[in-house]
Amino acid sequence: MRKWWVAWVALAVIVVGAGVVLVARSSPSDSPSARAARLSSELACPVCTGESVADSNASESRAIRLDIEQRIGKGQSDAQIRDAYVAIYGEHVLLTPSNGGLGVIAWGLPVLALVLGAGGIAFAIRRGSRTPRLAATAADVELVERERASHPDEAELA
Amino acid sequence: MTRHRIRWIALTVAFVLVAFGVVLAVQHRTEPSVPRLVQAHDPAPTFSLTSIAGKPVTSAALKGKTYVVNFWNSWCIPCRQEEPVLKSFYAAHHADADFAMVGIVRDDEPSPVRTYVAANAIGWPIAFDPQGRAGLGFGTTGQPETYVIGPSGVAACGSLGPVGAAELEAWLSVARSGGVCA
Repeated sequence: MRKWWVAWVALAVIVVGAGVVLVARSSPSDSPSARAARLSSELACPVCTGESVADSNASESRAIRLDIEQRIGKGQSDAQIRDAYVAIYGEHVLLTPSNGGLGVIAWGLPVLALVLGAGGIAFAIRRGSRTPRLAATAADVELVERERASHPDEAELA
Repeated sequence: MTRHRIRWIALTVAFVLVAFGVVLAVQHRTEPSVPRLVQAHDPAPTFSLTSIAGKPVTSAALKGKTYVVNFWNSWCIPCRQEEPVLKSFYAAHHADADFAMVGIVRDDEPSPVRTYVAANAIGWPIAFDPQGRAGLGFGTTGQPETYVIGPSGVAACGSLGPVGAAELEAWLSVARSGGVCA
């Protein structure tokens, strides 16, 4: 019993450790070039359809890429830089929805769908485990009763 | 599963779908015809450019005047269609002491721009915006785009797309009087 307990703890330690390493490795770099690249990919090219500033070669996108580097050089934060472009072009310049206003719905709907889906699956499993897969019909019951009645000795043995 | 429970689930799903549709409808936006800078009547951004004649074209030199900024390209057909309107407008006002007009090339090569300007005898200063900083400041999203800046430096009127003669005259008179377009 104790060996099983130790194995479970070891497994938990491995899972948590792997998670920590994964999170630490995937945390974004704060170097100016990495920030510029990240911000460029988060902003929509204002004159294109479905292209980010990073992917577009339109004059506006080239200007924005240059401007982002200069803003980073001046010490502006990512949020300040994003806000500057929202002020110029509007909210739709952000490729990822904001954390406020209607953006909450964009973030919240998938979570809500996941929760509802998980709830639905849990409900279905619980219901399935309680309800017998096949229920005897009246005809089945009658057939069994008839057979029992015709073989009283076997019925007693059973 | 009882019929009552199925009804509730169907109602919930329908409610979520309707809510999603309402959100999409609210989010849907029509293409604006007025630049954001003009909608907000924000101060016009500063710019420091060089004309095709090699002379400086700066917002500082235009301070206190009512001036028109027109973003264009020589390859842009609507810009070419708009050009006669701009030419008549400039001819009517270029002698006014409180008036100025600047054409800023958004995304074009020097050679075709020079050829076009010479061929069409364009008289107002035409400047290049090689790094797109002026376009970024104004928040341009295409061409042509026209802005009328009032004497106080505020973006009073303007439009995305070609502008008409009557419209330009009306904008100039509103901006000159210190007003802004609705």
